[in-house]
Parts: sequence; structure tokens; C-alpha cells
Amino acid sequence: MTVKPQNRSDSGRGPRGQASARRGRRRGAAGKQRIAAADSAAWIERGIPHFEVLNCEALELIEHNAETVLAEIGIEFREFPHALTLWKEAGAEVDGERVRFPRGLCRSLVQATAPGEFRQHARNPRRSTIIGGDRTVLVPAYGPPFVHDLDKGRRYAALEDFRNFVKLACMSPGLHHSGGTVCEPVDVPVNKRHFDMVYSHIKYSDKPFMGSVTHPERAKDSVAMAKIVFGDEFVANNAVLINLINANSPLTFDATMLGAATVYAESNQATIISPFLLAGAMSPVTIAGTLTQILAEALAGMAYVQLVRPGAPVVFGSFAAAVSMQSGAPTFGTPEPSLILCGAAQLARRLGVPFRSGGGLCAAKIPDAQAAYEAANTLQTSALAGVNFMLHTAGWLEGGLAMGYEKFVMDADQANMLAVLLGGVDLSENAQALDALREVGPGAHFLGAAHTLANFESAFYRSSVADNNSFEQWRQDGSLDTARRANVIWKQMLRDYEAPPLDPAIDEALLEFMRRRKSEFEDRDY
Amino acid sequence: MTDQNTHPEDEEIILAELDDGELVEQMHEDLYDGLKEEIVEGTSILLARNWSADKVLNEALVEGMRIVGIDFRDGILFVPEVLLAANAMKGGMELLRPLLSETGVKPIGKMVIGTVKGDIHDIGKNLVGMMLEGAGFEVFDIGINNSVEDYFEAMEKHQPDILGMSALLTTTMPYMKVVIDEMVKQGIRDDYIVLVGGAPLNEEFGRAVGADAYCRDAAQAADVAPAMVRARQARG
Repeated sequence: MTVKPQNRSDSGRGPRGQASARRGRRRGAAGKQRIAAADSAAWIERGIPHFEVLNCEALELIEHNAETVLAEIGIEFREFPHALTLWKEAGAEVDGERVRFPRGLCRSLVQATAPGEFRQHARNPRRSTIIGGDRTVLVPAYGPPFVHDLDKGRRYAALEDFRNFVKLACMSPGLHHSGGTVCEPVDVPVNKRHFDMVYSHIKYSDKPFMGSVTHPERAKDSVAMAKIVFGDEFVANNAVLINLINANSPLTFDATMLGAATVYAESNQATIISPFLLAGAMSPVTIAGTLTQILAEALAGMAYVQLVRPGAPVVFGSFAAAVSMQSGAPTFGTPEPSLILCGAAQLARRLGVPFRSGGGLCAAKIPDAQAAYEAANTLQTSALAGVNFMLHTAGWLEGGLAMGYEKFVMDADQANMLAVLLGGVDLSENAQALDALREVGPGAHFLGAAHTLANFESAFYRSSVADNNSFEQWRQDGSLDTARRANVIWKQMLRDYEAPPLDPAIDEALLEFMRRRKSEFEDRDY
Repeated sequence: MTDQNTHPEDEEIILAELDDGELVEQMHEDLYDGLKEEIVEGTSILLARNWSADKVLNEALVEGMRIVGIDFRDGILFVPEVLLAANAMKGGMELLRPLLSETGVKPIGKMVIGTVKGDIHDIGKNLVGMMLEGAGFEVFDIGINNSVEDYFEAMEKHQPDILGMSALLTTTMPYMKVVIDEMVKQGIRDDYIVLVGGAPLNEEFGRAVGADAYCRDAAQAADVAPAMVRARQARG
């Protein structure tokens, strides 16, 4: 067991003065969140070893098989001739849209120029994060077309919901990132949504965020808006956007994703190349077979990015769940994808690039017991496995079809706990606590010991969602279950929300840019 | 093939030696087990015994698939098994289809199905196509990334009862409305049953875009489609 002296300033709980902590304790749960948010860390620094499920021989076998897939079966790069040209020049065999890669080509392209870790800048420098190495960055869920809360149930997401989730993420100390499509604002025309989404991240949060990938033009607009915030030269030399590029598994990249990946790579912005596998439907039903496919797809995608721009930051992504063989429905929080996740994290580390996976995944429709345990299974596995960029950490319901307000609060609480768990064991003199043992001795208690008094406020993680009271107290407080307690919390958070300051000149320039661009073409539903 | 096939205790069964009742029952079992060659053989035998194509279709194939459908719904049969059964059904249908059209029997139905423009996700759509083939439909799958023009061309060419549209992305699903609006504009909307499906859709969305129904999954599509075609045929 590796141990590391606890450095509180790097843990998710952040350095807090006694006074602010006390003030926090006296306020309601949401008030606590707000105060903590002001001091929250920009990532989790890992203080415990990785949990690994494959030995060296197994990893070599999967790497060998992935190379076999790349060389023999190949990957399709659909309707995107530019990629085929680059691959031809790089020495791959191009047959129609199918690209077959000499053994080792993709791997050597990635290892030659892809950074092992990189900084993603936020408009507030204190929120700038680092992706890769021994760090974990926790990010809200991405993509749900629906939202859910206890009051209004399930409905299509609107821009108002999008803003709400950006605000909630901004206020959640355990989340280091504002995310991307925190929900799909279905009330805004498809071809103009990206403006409002990118603007909301900039306006309502000062954490790092993700750009649009649904069309190369929308990726360009995202970069243009980032340039208004950070300046042209800064964006040319630094990653300020990270962007989700999914493979259209099995073994296919489509023109939309390749187009966006190309724009971002050319702009020196980060991409997450994510094989998206529902094992049984989009990959083999076995763990080893699925890992092979994940590695092959990720290698081909990341190597393509390096061909577009050597050195552009890339992340090895993996979204792997299984389908129910009975109905075909996706399942979450089950053991096989946990093993896949751990194995994929190992493959990414051997390759030497940051790894994205995990999250609070579940198939539950509402914030119930299934939602909680399925999410906890994946969140903890992801943390132990060594995920660097944990997309979908908070809010995910129903296989990603819905973003839940209560679920978001429950997951954000879990996120805070992951920071403490990953922080590892403090072995400082204070933590060794020999003074406390000497003071109390046999047969007494530690509640009044000097050591306890000096440490109690930060000693244990205090959940803002869990109820640990007596039955009678709980009943007096209204007999609320987890979801109803979370319902109170998110509403209070939105009431307490204060926008992080944004330079009015930048704000006006962004609004002007959006006005101009939106007027240049008609609203379209595709 | 027959000798090595997967009827461990039934290896001796010779379909041609069974009487009609036994053969039909055996075909129900063979459909359940997804044995395409046996279904094709059984279909030929019944035809050779002067069964009408209509009768073979309804008593042997449709009834067999009805049982498959029930056990799929109840979680007894798994997806890969249902696909095998549908494929076996398709084998029998290929023999019957020309005969059915010769005798003027109303087909169970024809469907054009495709994923909408901008979207290349097709696993769900493919499952719907296979399930409908399993239900006796003639399915014209026009693939992925279909424009209004693609859908119109396919409807013109195949004259289906049903147009099926699929999308996985929230950014592509609104295109269904583009297609349906154009059908309305050209005065052909009521000539077709329009079914829509895909993960980000719901009933409300189906209504909003002007579809006749939203189907939540392939099994439901295989229930809804024949029922809607029958209702339509009944209306004349």
C-alpha cells in the first residue's frame, strides 16, 4: 500500500479556515455547499494505488489482439476523405473507407507526440485543471435529452434546465468541471443550440468546460467563443476546451465526429476519443473481446488526431456498458463493465495517455435505490481504477436519457467522498495520533480529547444528503427519503447561486458574436 | 445440415414423414429454435401437399412467431434467439411471398425503414426491421443518413404501408418532422402509416412531429405495425 501525506489543499474538500467551517456548519446543507465551493480544489490528487484486474501477460495479449484487429479488420473512416489522405500518407492501407494499420503504427503515432497529461484552462485560473497522471477530474453527466425532478417528473430538457445544471455544477465543490451538454436544450433550434450552451458555461460558471461536437462549424464557433474569453494567442497555445469524440462502434468513425475532432485538433484543443460500447450489441459479449475493441478504436482515433496535429492533447476514452440479452436494453452498474473499466484504465496507462471513463451510471428512471447503488458501483470502481476525466459523475439517470436534479445532488455528494477516498492515508505526526492515545488511555473515550477537538471538524466526510439521525429525529424532520432531501438541497442551491464575475466587455463581445452568427443562417432542425 | 442440427433428441425426425398437424407443430418448434433450413423445408412440404400459401403463412409461420413473441415479451427468449427465429421466418416468407402476390392475398404489410439524415446509428433500426420480417412484413431497409428525398424515393418505389424513421441523437430526431411536414405538403401524408422510434424520443415527441405512433422498442414495433396495417385494411 502506497501512502502519501495528506495534502488538504489538493483534496476535494479544500483548505478551510476553522471560522468558515463553523459558519458552514451552522448554515443549511446548501449553504455549506456554497461556502465549500469557493475553496474547492481543481482536481483530486491520487494518494492510493490503482486497482488493477489484469496482469502483464493479459495486457500484452489484449494489446496484441487489438493490433490484429487494426491490421486485419481495420477501422472505417466514413465520408471524410481528409482522414483517408492522412492515413495513406502515414503508411496505412486504405481500401475504400476502410483503413488497415501496420502493426504498431497507431501506437507509435500516439506515443511519439500525444501528451501524457495536460492543463485545461478555466476563465478563473484557480479552476484550471490538469488532466492525466495521478489526477482525477470529476465532470457532470453529458447528453441527456430529458430532465427529471420529483416535482415535475420527466420532460424534455430546456435551456433553463441547462443553465440550472451549470449553476449546480459551479456550486458543487466535488465537481471540478462544468461539463458539456449537461442536458440537451431541446427548446432551441438544433443548429443554434451550441451558442447558448457554450455561453451558459462561460457566463454561469468559471470552471473549465467542453465544446460542441455536433458539426465542424459548431466546433469552430466553440473555439471562436473561447477566443473571445481567453484571447486568440492563448487559445492557439493552450487547451481551453475539451471535446467528446465518440467512435461509432463497432470499428467506425463518422464524418460528424471526425469533422469536429479535426477542427479541435487543428486548434490545439483537447479531444476525448471514446469507443461507445454496449457490449453484446456493439462489441463482443466478453470482457477481453470488448477491451480489445476499445483499445483498437481508441488507438485509431487518437493516432488520427496526432496526424492532424502532432502534440494535440488527446484522452483515451471508454464508455462501456452491457445490454440485457433478454431485451436489448442497456444495463449499468453491473460487474462486467467494472472489470472492463479497470482493464481499459490499465491499457491507457501503459500507452501513456490520460483516461476517461466512469460516472454515476444507472438504468433507474428515478432517484431510487437502484439509481444509488448502480451509480455507486461505477463511481467507486472508476475512482479506484484510475480514471483521469470522469464524465457523467453527476446527474445521470435512465441510461443517460435523463438528467436528474435530485440525482445530481446525490452524485455530487458521492463525488466529495471520492476525493477523500482517493486522497489516501495521512501519516503526518498529527494523523498518527499517539498524543490522543496517550491522553485517553484504556477504557475512556476520545470525544473530549484535545486531539479530537483539534481535528474533529475535518476528520470525517459529512454527507449533505444522508440522514444519520435517530428514527424519532428523522420522523420529526418529515420522514424524508434521500430523493426528497436532495430535492430540498438543489432548490436551495439555485436560490443561493451567485454568478462568478465575468468581465462585462467579454460578456458583451460574446453576446454580440452570438447575435451576429445566429443571424447569418436560418433556424434549422438538423 | 439437418442431421447435425441442434435437435439432440430429435435427430431422427424427418419432416416429410410427419402428417400435416405434426409438421405444423414441428415448424412452430423449429421457428422457436431458429432453424431456417427446416422452416424452408417445412414450407416447401406443405406447399407440395397443396396447402395454400396463405394457410402456410398463417398456421405455420405467423402462429409460430406469435409464440416466439410471447416468450420474448416474458423474458424467456433472449434477443439473439429472437433474431434467429425471425431469420428462419424470413426464409419461409421468401418462398411464400411470390405465391401470395400471385393469389392476390393481402400481404401482412410492407415497410420502408431508415435512420434520418445526419444520423448513422442503426442497431435499433435493424432490430425493428428483423422483428417486422419475423412478423411477416416485407421490409425495405434504406439504411442510415436519409434525406427527405431518400425517403420519398423509397416510398415511391416500394409503395409501403408504413414509413419507419429512426434516430439516436437529439440533434437528428427533429428531422422526422421535416420529412413528415414535406409529406403533408405534397398531400401524401395520409397514404402511409408513419412510425418513429429511437432512444431520445417519447410519445409526446411522436405526436408533436405528426407520426401515427412512437414505438419504444422493436418488440412493440412488431406488435403495433401489423395491428395498424390491419386496421387500415379494414377501413379499406
